[in-house]
Amino acid sequence: MKWGMVIDLTKCMRCHGCVAACRVEHFLPLRITWVKLIAYETDEGGVLDVTTFPVRCNQCKEAPCVDVCPTGASKQRADGIVEIEADKCIGCRYCVIACPYQNRTFLSKDKDPGYFPGYPQTRFEIKGKKLYPHQRGTTTKCNFCAEKIDYGLANGLTVGIDRDATPACVNTCQARALTFGDLDDPNSNISRLIVERKGLQLQQILGTDPSVYYVDGKIGGKDNKAPESAMTGSHIQHLSSVEARAKKVFPGSKKN
Amino acid sequence: MALRNGKVVYSTCKSCHGGCGVKVTVEDGVPVHIEGNPDTLTRGTMCSKGLSSIQHIDSPYRLKYPMKRIGPKGEGKWARISWDEALDTIAEKVKESQEKYGKESISISQGTGRGYNRYIHRLARSLGTANVISPGYVCHSPRLGLYGLVTGYGRLYCDYHGWGGEFPKTQIMWAKQLEISSADSEMCNWFIQSLDYCKNLIIIDPRASAYATRATLWLQPRPGSDCALALGMMHIIINEGLWDKEFVEDWSFGFEELKERVKEWTPEKTEEVTWVPKEKIIQAARLFAVDTPGCIQVGSSLERQANCGHTLRAITCLMGLTGNIERPGSMVSWVLPETGLIEDFFLELPLTEEMQSKIIGIDKFKMGAARTCNPDTMVKAILSGEAPVHVWISVGGQQIVHMANTKEVVAAIEKMDFMVHVDLFMGPMAQAADMVLPAAHWLELDDVYDMHPRFFVSAHNKVVDPPGEAQSDAWIFNEIGRRTAPEHWFDTIEECLDYQVRKGMEGKMKWKDFSENLVSGCWGKDQTYYKYKTDYWREGGGFPTATGKFEFYSMRMEELGYDPLPVFREPGESPYRTPELYKEYPLVMSSGFRQPFYFLGQYRNIPWLRSFMEYPMCQMHPETAAKYGVSDGDWVWIETPRGRIRQKCRTFPGVLKGMLMATANWFYPEEPAKGYHGVFISNPNVLTSNNHLDPMYGSPDLTCLLCKVTKCAEKDLQDNVFKTEEYGYVQRTSEK
Repeated sequence: MKWGMVIDLTKCMRCHGCVAACRVEHFLPLRITWVKLIAYETDEGGVLDVTTFPVRCNQCKEAPCVDVCPTGASKQRADGIVEIEADKCIGCRYCVIACPYQNRTFLSKDKDPGYFPGYPQTRFEIKGKKLYPHQRGTTTKCNFCAEKIDYGLANGLTVGIDRDATPACVNTCQARALTFGDLDDPNSNISRLIVERKGLQLQQILGTDPSVYYVDGKIGGKDNKAPESAMTGSHIQHLSSVEARAKKVFPGSKKN
Repeated sequence: MALRNGKVVYSTCKSCHGGCGVKVTVEDGVPVHIEGNPDTLTRGTMCSKGLSSIQHIDSPYRLKYPMKRIGPKGEGKWARISWDEALDTIAEKVKESQEKYGKESISISQGTGRGYNRYIHRLARSLGTANVISPGYVCHSPRLGLYGLVTGYGRLYCDYHGWGGEFPKTQIMWAKQLEISSADSEMCNWFIQSLDYCKNLIIIDPRASAYATRATLWLQPRPGSDCALALGMMHIIINEGLWDKEFVEDWSFGFEELKERVKEWTPEKTEEVTWVPKEKIIQAARLFAVDTPGCIQVGSSLERQANCGHTLRAITCLMGLTGNIERPGSMVSWVLPETGLIEDFFLELPLTEEMQSKIIGIDKFKMGAARTCNPDTMVKAILSGEAPVHVWISVGGQQIVHMANTKEVVAAIEKMDFMVHVDLFMGPMAQAADMVLPAAHWLELDDVYDMHPRFFVSAHNKVVDPPGEAQSDAWIFNEIGRRTAPEHWFDTIEECLDYQVRKGMEGKMKWKDFSENLVSGCWGKDQTYYKYKTDYWREGGGFPTATGKFEFYSMRMEELGYDPLPVFREPGESPYRTPELYKEYPLVMSSGFRQPFYFLGQYRNIPWLRSFMEYPMCQMHPETAAKYGVSDGDWVWIETPRGRIRQKCRTFPGVLKGMLMATANWFYPEEPAKGYHGVFISNPNVLTSNNHLDPMYGSPDLTCLLCKVTKCAEKDLQDNVFKTEEYGYVQRTSEK
């Protein structure tokens, strides 16, 4: 298993939902952000292109950050996720410089001034320091929500499908621009997307072999016939599941 | 081991118009996690605004207790008082003013968020006044009114669901960024999903919104010329014989008159007026007429213009001309849920002729000021001493920020005898008030989710206690109501909520049962299409209009003294209407675009959200910026005859050349009370005029005017603004 992500540039509308979901999920200090959006806007050759590249740690298979780490704090798990063991990190920041994608951040004091500088920590912050501690003087980055993946696998959930086994950014994306799954399985959701829509990695030339792929395309050109699921699915199913629940709540209703 | 421990509470987001299902985990009384509720129509997704609520509720700047002003207005000196003192004072002031100046002397104003709509209208009606100051006239009311005028039914929505077997084949996104908002009853979630079944997406926007460069077609009209564009599109459709013959023949009224009206709008003339190349206008018209079904999503930028009535009307006519009404995948009206229309909560108290006759502006704006007052007329009337209003009850909204001509608005509000403001934070309106009341956040209250998606009902469930003595808007308004018009209000909030959902489950529904066990549901009658072909609106079929038809030509308009057909008028200030002014102010200015992480005037005080855009920026095409000597990253002065403001220039090739797109609704919560939290520093409404208003709705030209731009000198940036670190801004070296 090698976990990977496919990001559909056609759909991303720069809403910043992924950034916020990540901050909530990991109780990130005020000035730390694991997911970033890069605005790409050009009209070269008279053709306008407005694109948003959501970026995060690429969990590279050939990860330069792991190679340069002098203490072994940065390491690659069997499933491809690159993790940082904070207790081993000495804050040398070699990895910050080595990452060609600038997806690592050194957590210095000024990056963690509290959510409301000059005021006591909030309830959420205090809880976060216990539930998801971040160590000052170490380097941090996206971990593909490894804790959720581990929890999901331990509890028989399907990674990338079940919400408790899927990264927070993927779950929250209103455009459904993010897809998560297994790169090793040629039939997985993401492997198919990469093949069908010619997925590209950032800066392939560097040979880092990122686990994050990008697909792009145009909007439109689709058939507007609704599939059976649209007519019987989201609305009607929702309706019936609500009605079933409603019957339990309101047993006296004539509808039963 | 669970992924996280604690109690799970399901609720409904209200960080914008809201409606998204929410799942919050609470540990020891502290919300430790927030995400979307997958078992809802929004499928577990949420945006940055809703998610950042978890930071928002803990802000040290929250208002916690009722307070009264102890210094001059705008000085920011306050003293804590009890709820009893606050509420009794309000009741006393209301009664005193009613006796001395009449019932119309009470005015109630609102903003857009939080879900207090029906409470403030019920309070106004129970007090016998219709002088409600609503932002509706610049957001949503014109479209409801014009849909209503043309089709007889005010609520037309884009059918993004495929329930009828078809998705919209051609979609027009007109001055709207639905991809970043759940507004006006449509949700970005559904819109984006429908794009998987879309043949043509047409974006009409002077600035490239997120999907503009990947859409089928993108038109960049000059701000304020949209009505001309709609007329031009109809010209092409009629000229080329592309209209829906069956619908027009059988179900419409006034086609021949419309045909005559659009005759002059040749593609050449339309191009000249709108600045859109005629090839694109022709292509858009053909696609929309031929590739049906289709729908048009309208944005409120069109309603912030002084020709909004006719613009909306022309667009509605375009829908009818192409038969895109009540067809699966077109514009449809939803069948209400079993609980009924949420507005019944105030509509059940009639607006009497007496109340209506006292509405400020009713003599002029017969559509917009028929049920609520015209806010701009009220400002002028207060300044001239002619306004009957003496007590102003304000909730949520920042009229100082969103209304045209900030200086006049502030001067008028400062003249009020007594004003109370209800909010979560201090802001410009609170600083202008005599009393402020602390409101609860949507995570801290029980209420019926009020607004849009008309086919389902949802609940806000209290997740945590509000800070200090803050209370829900429902409680606050019920308490004011109980003290001023007890016959229309309730003993407890639970009773009030039971009352609002009472029609559900054949009269058996109780609030607690619904909110705790269902949270969100859309049961009731099934949705139906082609209602005009059935007895739904009238026996034997037809639309609920005077003629029973879809009315291109309106006799009702004629009676009211308006043009019975849609007509284009230039904005109050434009290159063609005021060519002399254009020489001095050579840029067309709009403030129509929105950011996905702010909701109107809100959230500049949430550090997580402020990090996405620290300072207001104005966008210009690089060529336009170069022409006026400003570069990307410069602080610039934007100036009109009303004044000047500072914003940060951002060059963006996606902006129409010759225009400036400013960031709207900007004040600095971190700036001192004096100066109303920096409302004069960067807010575009310092620049807008309240002299030129839409004849039907009274809407000012907020999104189409003229301006000039110059680079700020170093000394303009020294006066201790833009430098506050208190909210956690990251200061770049270039700004220092």
